Amino acid sequence: MLHPVPGSTGAAPPLLSLEDFTVAFAQGAGRTRVVHGIDLTLQRGEALGIVGESGCGKSVTWLAALRLLGKRAVTTGRVLLNGRDLSGFSERELADVRGGRIGLIFQDPTSCLNPILRIGTQIGEALRLHRGLTGKAAEREALRLLDRVGIADAPRRLRQHAHELSGGMNQRVMIAIALAGEPDVLVADEPTTALDATIQAQILDLIRDIRRDTGMGLVLISHDLGVIADLCDRVAVMYAGRVVETAATQDLLGSPRHPYTRGLLAALPSLEGPRVRLTPVGGTVPSPDAMPPGCAFAPRCAYAEAHCGNGIPVLQPAGTGHLSACRRLDALMGEWQRQAAREAGRHDPVVQDLDWPNRDRQRELSA
Amino acid sequence: MTGFILRRLAQLIPVLLIASFAIWAMIFAVPGGPVGMMVGENATPEEIAAATRKLGLDRPIPVQYFNWLTHAVTGDFGQSLHSRDPVTKLIGERLPATLQLALVSILVALVIGIPVAITGAVKEGSWVDRLLNGWNALALGVPTFWLGILLILLFSVELRWLPSASRYVPLWEDPNQALRSLILPGLTLGLYVSGILARFLKASLVSEARADYVRTARAKGVSERQIVGHHIMQNALLPFITIVGLMVANFIGGAVVTEAVFTYPGLGRLLIQAISTRDYPLIQGCIVVILVIYMAISLIVDILYAVIDPRIEYR
Repeated sequence: MLHPVPGSTGAAPPLLSLEDFTVAFAQGAGRTRVVHGIDLTLQRGEALGIVGESGCGKSVTWLAALRLLGKRAVTTGRVLLNGRDLSGFSERELADVRGGRIGLIFQDPTSCLNPILRIGTQIGEALRLHRGLTGKAAEREALRLLDRVGIADAPRRLRQHAHELSGGMNQRVMIAIALAGEPDVLVADEPTTALDATIQAQILDLIRDIRRDTGMGLVLISHDLGVIADLCDRVAVMYAGRVVETAATQDLLGSPRHPYTRGLLAALPSLEGPRVRLTPVGGTVPSPDAMPPGCAFAPRCAYAEAHCGNGIPVLQPAGTGHLSACRRLDALMGEWQRQAAREAGRHDPVVQDLDWPNRDRQRELSA
Repeated sequence: MTGFILRRLAQLIPVLLIASFAIWAMIFAVPGGPVGMMVGENATPEEIAAATRKLGLDRPIPVQYFNWLTHAVTGDFGQSLHSRDPVTKLIGERLPATLQLALVSILVALVIGIPVAITGAVKEGSWVDRLLNGWNALALGVPTFWLGILLILLFSVELRWLPSASRYVPLWEDPNQALRSLILPGLTLGLYVSGILARFLKASLVSEARADYVRTARAKGVSERQIVGHHIMQNALLPFITIVGLMVANFIGGAVVTEAVFTYPGLGRLLIQAISTRDYPLIQGCIVVILVIYMAISLIVDILYAVIDPRIEYR
């Protein structure tokens, strides 16, 4: 099932696309499916945010697409990089893609670095594999990369180990390693979740800077809509192994078209505007082996009706380049528009809170 | 690094003092006391008094210990009650034989254990892994005396390739003869220990393979072979070194059964002989030597650890 690609210019093929991609884990004799046929595209240089609660399959999707989950993970569907299907690649070809065409960084950077190898060795490994650099040339390039990711005193840091650096610095090292292969896209899996708030902002700024300089694409996986809104052009909201809504970032934040997305937005704290009680989304993500029939979000959905339990909702257009998978989409869109009209004239706190570019401007002004 | 080694050496001194006191005090635990051992059951009071004086047992206890200690430090543990030879000479004859057997045994254990562990870890859950698990269980489960006898029956009695009784021939004098004597006892001990090492290393490899840094290595395009050989193995070796050290230390005094089966002149058998004849100076000497080797091996393990693991500070 193919959907119109939001933001597509038509002529250029997407850099990366997932088509009807599923992931299942072997469990005993059977398999438990955790990602149920998703379609995503990333244009060259685009920044795509993947958001959802823990356990909704957002990390698993991208790790499985690069076959980083081991033999227990079984995938179907296609993963196209520049039109070529990665699932047909040999381990050797795939090794060139990993770190070469697609760089990855993860949560908890300190445990992601090898504890007994020097920082320089770990950057050098990527330089040797993807750029054929060794010896002095590799060292010069490693120094340049550390400098690029904002690590002071690079010559000394090259000779140090992960435990001698802070978490934020280790994440910068991880970014340097990812940049070593000059990738077309960086997949960042919760890159700031394990870091302090101030460091978080620095790392996000760094990623933004690098993208501005290199035009590198970005897939930013996060449970934090604020982080996504800060960096991404487009957002895909995932729930229980499916994409339930996708739209340009401003569009998604300004007029969410899926009850789950609205729930995520209502649960966000605000820095400005009136103090409002946050509304958490009640309940939890269903376990993959105990999925409710029909719409997986229905049991937690404030707008659910009896027929939401019949059949799984598919993504349907909900505006320009905007797709939403909700059985009550038409009815709710009318309801939400009337509500918006009623509230016109006074601040809509949800939209105000998420006016992130404005917040950025204010941050720059106050700095 | 030198400072680290010196500090570790200094830490060993109190351990040695306490242990040596316990070893020395052992003479009082000998039934009838050391004097009774020397003079026999029908000795006259005069003979007992003479022996007591000769052994210095009439002096205050701290003085006795101090005398013993000052002699022990210079390598003098007195004479064997049984053979009247100096204890140092008896131990000196056995120690090289024991070290040589320990070396060959640990080499056999490593050569068998490491590939078994790596193969099992890489193919975890497959039939190869199950086969190797079975092999390890067999290596651990077969008693060494029985395996020794089986090896003698096959290679010495049936095939007549190797001697059944092993002599001590220094490796550097006649490597060929020395190896002929060492192969069977070395295999017997090495096979058993390979089971321990393989199990331990495999568990260590499997747990390291799940670490986040391994995912990072894959994500940057490192090949599986290099991930296992370079990233996982180096980290898994850290705990493994400790076990290898313990096993080598164990061979020094604890290879009694194998030494007995092959009538190999090792330290373990000397100690058992000394215990069975209540030859307490010899017992003391053997235990002190075993203790010192144990401590030397732990020191080497500590140093290796500090060299390999950058997280350990030895400044």
